[in-house]
Amino acid sequence: MSASVRSMSLTVCRAATVAYRAFNPATRSLRSRGFIESTEEFRFVERLVPPSRIPTPPKHEGPAPSGWIPPSATPPSLPYMIRRSRMHNVPVYSDIKHGNQHSTLLRKIEGDIWALNKDVKEFLLGLTGKEPPTQVNEITGTIRIKGLFDKELKDRLLKKGF
Amino acid sequence: MISSHTRVMFRATLAICGRTVAKRFISSLSGESALPSNLRLPPNLIGVAPQKRAFPSSSDLPVLRRCEADIPAHLAPAQTWLESLGSRDSEPLGVVDLHPDVFSVPLRLDILHAVEVWQRNFKRISHAKVKSRAEVSGGGRKPWNQKGSGRARHGSIRSPLWRGGGVAHGPRGPSSYYYMLPMKVRVQGLKIALTAKLAQDYLHIVDSLEIPTPDPHYLLDLVKHRQWGDSVLIVDVGDEFPQNILKVTEDMKTVNIIPAIGLNVHSMLKHESLVLTLEAVKFLEKKLLWHDVRYAPLYPFKLPYSDLPSFSLHQMLIDGLEWIIVMYLSAVLTRNLTAPIHCRGSIGEQVI
Repeated sequence: MSASVRSMSLTVCRAATVAYRAFNPATRSLRSRGFIESTEEFRFVERLVPPSRIPTPPKHEGPAPSGWIPPSATPPSLPYMIRRSRMHNVPVYSDIKHGNQHSTLLRKIEGDIWALNKDVKEFLLGLTGKEPPTQVNEITGTIRIKGLFDKELKDRLLKKGF
Repeated sequence: MISSHTRVMFRATLAICGRTVAKRFISSLSGESALPSNLRLPPNLIGVAPQKRAFPSSSDLPVLRRCEADIPAHLAPAQTWLESLGSRDSEPLGVVDLHPDVFSVPLRLDILHAVEVWQRNFKRISHAKVKSRAEVSGGGRKPWNQKGSGRARHGSIRSPLWRGGGVAHGPRGPSSYYYMLPMKVRVQGLKIALTAKLAQDYLHIVDSLEIPTPDPHYLLDLVKHRQWGDSVLIVDVGDEFPQNILKVTEDMKTVNIIPAIGLNVHSMLKHESLVLTLEAVKFLEKKLLWHDVRYAPLYPFKLPYSDLPSFSLHQMLIDGLEWIIVMYLSAVLTRNLTAPIHCRGSIGEQVI
């Protein structure tokens, strides 16, 4: 019942639209008013529409001029793997809470996370002279380190080839 | 009588523990009781333990389908058998590759739970409503004087203290439980569900859904023979499905067919076994992997992007306007035509 009413009103509406467009001088077809229609210029609109995918960066041997270092083609032979973020950067982030609690977050870790934890602790022991407390989250694959070490950790991971 | 839920749980335990459970069970018989009590299987368990075909592990088998998307260098594709629904006893046709970022993600059960709970609750609108003291009829007048009558002081006969009075803090009106989980969490939920199905041996890849007869017994027999489980969810891509499979699954409660866009975590958890066609696997991989490499949305993804197929904005606006007019007209006409006769006059007099 309502379906037939709906289809009836659909045809009525479409007929009304067509009739309105044919008789209203403002919306009559452009050709009848002496204009030439062309769709060639639509490419200027199309090229403004942004893409949805992040492009893969072009191949660089060594660091790019901006300072970005690509991951090595073969993954390093370590028991763990750290993927790049979706913008192709090393996933090391600095965090701050309550204005004075600094921590460093290491994300996107796959494989043996405890081996990486030991590695990171040894590295920071050599760097600062004391072992920083770390929090290992096996389920999410993240390590949170007390203190701000993001630059040093990023450089170390880039040197390793992640 | 063991319920089907317990049976499913036992089957799952069997699938995961495998032979080690049997070994431990034997050692517990000898008096050591090494296995905890919740993992010990009763000797009178109903149901045949599934004869699992070993997962294809050797690399000499020809791979019938490779992944379209690039696989990260440190991961290897997951592999599983490609089967056919053509006949009950047909052997698997070969081995297919599945993308590890869709079918071998870390199993985050908390995300799976969150997505399942969201799916149940975001559509919920509870219509529970009770009258408050303002809405219960009556109760405008003070029942007796404040002082002098000897009774307790009251302002209205419909206060929550009174019998027949309004409810103080009851449910108020239709309330919605709508919330949205982030898109990436919902996508990850789908990936985890697919991974879980593959890991528990409940995922079956099929080349196409052509079956020889529209007889429901054929499909039930096939499912039982291949030990796919009590319930099967069949997923395919596209508008047209073969007539036979549609007819068979139409009246069956436990075997259901859905298009690939309708795949969701709740259905995957509700059905024991999941059957995907190769087209469905390709579609799912493409859609689920796009979320790993996409930008944050500048504007909703329903609108056109240069690499996403979408309607044009102009056409969508025209269609939208037309549809609004159609819905309004149909609502008005239906109201006028279906109202009882004594009301039609009054409806017609209302301003449209």
